[in-house]
Amino acid sequence: MVKIFFKPILREAVVIAILGAVLAFAANALSPKGLNIQRNYFPADISSAAPQTNATPTRATNTVPAEENVAARLKEKGLQPLNSAEARQRFDDPRYQQGLIIFIDVRNAQEYEEAHIPGAYHFDYYYPGNEIGQVVAACQPAEQIVVYCGGGKCDASENAALMLRDRAKIPGTKLFVYTGGTTEWKEKRFPMEAGGRNSGKSVDESHGR
Amino acid sequence: MANPLTNPMAADHSTSGFETTGAAGESSRKSSFWSDFFPLFARSILGAAFVYMGMQKVLAPSEFLSLVRQYNLTNNYLVLNSIAAALPWFEVFCGLLLFTGVAVRGASLVVLAMLLPFSIVVLKRALGMASSQGLAFCAVQFDCGCGGGEINICRKLMENSGLMLIGIWLLFAPAQKLALRYALFAP
Repeated sequence: MVKIFFKPILREAVVIAILGAVLAFAANALSPKGLNIQRNYFPADISSAAPQTNATPTRATNTVPAEENVAARLKEKGLQPLNSAEARQRFDDPRYQQGLIIFIDVRNAQEYEEAHIPGAYHFDYYYPGNEIGQVVAACQPAEQIVVYCGGGKCDASENAALMLRDRAKIPGTKLFVYTGGTTEWKEKRFPMEAGGRNSGKSVDESHGR
Repeated sequence: MANPLTNPMAADHSTSGFETTGAAGESSRKSSFWSDFFPLFARSILGAAFVYMGMQKVLAPSEFLSLVRQYNLTNNYLVLNSIAAALPWFEVFCGLLLFTGVAVRGASLVVLAMLLPFSIVVLKRALGMASSQGLAFCAVQFDCGCGGGEINICRKLMENSGLMLIGIWLLFAPAQKLALRYALFAP
């Protein structure tokens, strides 16, 4: 009796699972936001990177010890962490205007256009597209490259820095990761720019204030 | 169409027009609601929930990828990418099946087969956080990758339990009239 009841349901479920999986992978392949299945998005060791993000369940818990952990983890991978003061120091350095120090924003295009550190290059880590060529070209003559994302739980900056070092062969000594990212930069009320790179448009103007 | 001679429930519906009056009419109306509209309502809720949650992830797959990674389910990036790439679309697909009433029981079973393990991994992670941070279980909140952003986990598990109950009910509910193709392999 149970067999008679469940057999057609199971048969349906198997058909749905197979058809659904095929359609799902096809939709992902066709979607402009689809993921590249064969790309390792987390070149850093997954098991060592993930517990950190696990330990930050709420915004309230993103406290100093967590930042220290992030800094230690970055150093372990041969990357150089920067705090807000150090990032600001580089932003104010005259070499920033000469392109010898550059900032790279690895968040998505929408976040970048809403507000980014003035003059920062955009490089969406998950969808590098055509930006990678421009960014690598800017990295070549630069003496210092500061990579940042949203801060807090975000680790795209770390992965992007590893990608630039390991795949684009940018020397690790030039690469810095601003761990606080835009969250801390905004909290410190440091300048931010809206729209495209060097648009000169302040975030307040873009909101019509 | 069901044959009233072989399906007593169909015979019941055939006399359940809204013009019917008296006690017998009331009973027929109730029967029509419970056998037609309530299942439609139930699968619409379950279907809409899956379409909504799936679409949230479809629109931001890279964020979903990062969230799935936080569960430490696998170290194999191909498996991780496959989960993050296919699962959101798969949820939308199952949600649409339920919403339109195609293979309702099979789709309910598949949805249950997703909801149960999702809830278990969310529960496990929330318990881990509660004990490591000395928080009350219902004070734990994080973005579980379920499609609604950061959320209180107690609430999320309650929602999932409700959806699972609907899914179980749909497995055993009587065949529905207002479905596009209730059974996939029906003669």
